[in-house]
Amino acid sequence: MPIDSDTIQSVSALLYERALKKIPDDTRDVLAQAQKRETDATARHTIMMMVESADLAHEQGSLVCSDVGIPTYSLKIGTRVQFSGQVRQAITDGFAELVANIQPPILKMVTHPLTHARSYAGKDIPIVSYELIDDADYMDIVCSPKAMGTGRWEAAETFVYPTIEQAEKYVLDVILRAGSQPCLPIVVGVGIGGTLDHATKLAKEAMLRPHGQANPDPMMAGMEARLLAAINQMGLGAMGTSGDCSAMAVNVEYSAGHGFVPIAVSLNCWINRRTAARIHHDGRVEMLYE
Amino acid sequence: MNEALTTAVQELTLPLDEHRVRALSVGQLVRLSGKVTVSIGIPTHQRMAEAALQGQPLPVDIRGGAFLHLSTYVRESDGVCEPIYLNPSTSTRYNAWMPAIVRGLGPRIVGGKGGLNAESVATLQECGCVYLSFLGGGSPLLSRALRGVHSMHWTEYISQFRLLTLDVQSLGPATVAIDAQGQSIYQSVGERAKARMPAILEQMAKARALG
Repeated sequence: MPIDSDTIQSVSALLYERALKKIPDDTRDVLAQAQKRETDATARHTIMMMVESADLAHEQGSLVCSDVGIPTYSLKIGTRVQFSGQVRQAITDGFAELVANIQPPILKMVTHPLTHARSYAGKDIPIVSYELIDDADYMDIVCSPKAMGTGRWEAAETFVYPTIEQAEKYVLDVILRAGSQPCLPIVVGVGIGGTLDHATKLAKEAMLRPHGQANPDPMMAGMEARLLAAINQMGLGAMGTSGDCSAMAVNVEYSAGHGFVPIAVSLNCWINRRTAARIHHDGRVEMLYE
Repeated sequence: MNEALTTAVQELTLPLDEHRVRALSVGQLVRLSGKVTVSIGIPTHQRMAEAALQGQPLPVDIRGGAFLHLSTYVRESDGVCEPIYLNPSTSTRYNAWMPAIVRGLGPRIVGGKGGLNAESVATLQECGCVYLSFLGGGSPLLSRALRGVHSMHWTEYISQFRLLTLDVQSLGPATVAIDAQGQSIYQSVGERAKARMPAILEQMAKARALG
């Protein structure tokens, strides 16, 4: 049975709305734990407000943040899936549906890169990436509305035969340069290797990984643990006004590649917007995380 | 941060005099009541700074008041304007215009998130003005303070870029992050983070060696 475009459209709209009005459950848990451990009184108060704000948004159906970001979707499509109707257009229509119907209404965030004119739509918006899953009969849609108050500090650089030490130092340099500017505590995604575009894709995937799932590769898991401890020792704190918790997680993914090694760093702010759903071949929709 | 400084939230009613503002210190928590003017538009800031440099008045007087980098959605229906929500935006992108705005237009409070650069910190000290850090992602909490639209100017811009003056009741809490004595939390936290880096890197090297 083919997956129809109406389902893709409605799921795209639903995922975006849920991402705007609720922080992920695992993120809320991490924040609540961080508040208990926090030794800085201002930061403790700030994290308490974060949890309150998130809870209030969920209860009353309001936006956690007025910067609703620009729409980005990652599609993972099973090779046994059949479609009836368009797929890319359905995602575009899903975002248009959200804009038309969401209450409260959202602000215009989609911006022309050179004229700076703002709208609800624009060239290549929503930004959609595609990947295949061999032999699967479902498709996954991951929605991550991207606000740039934190995202503007993301970075990538290509190194020559880097050591683990150099790779870790680069990630810390990116975080140090961002300083108090992002809405801390952040989630940090690191992509190492492949080509530059692949490294940035890996970094984003790493950033969107659910909490508590270390990379199964011990080398990567070691980097994740050291980097998380190091970033929190910087003392930037919630909203960058000092404190123990500057990052909630550091997730690292890697790819083999050339000896010239791109390293990319992706950042998500504390509300950590990410939602995902699976559309099965029979039309069933299953929320994967929200 | 000093534990004692953050135990109480000070209620500030706008407009404020210089003496009251100079008594505020970094780390203190405050709430604002009265009229606050907001915008997150770069063209808005350019226009405000130009007016300030040319000695031209704004359509709304912000002297003694608050000018905040808060993005706001205003619902307009049958000639009635209703503010629905608001939330802070990154202030550093307005660094180029904030000194002229503070010096020429005389707000006692500015704010948003992420702070301002050293030139702005010096201007706040010179003029008797403080910067407040509002919670990013705090829209549901902060929006409870909204009481109405006092005035809306430069309506040729999109909602969040307009020069909007709102009536608010207990907007906050917000943290005094740059005070009028020249102290900036952002500067001190950033310098402290840099100073910690050698020890952090050494600790990481030890952890790597242990495998």
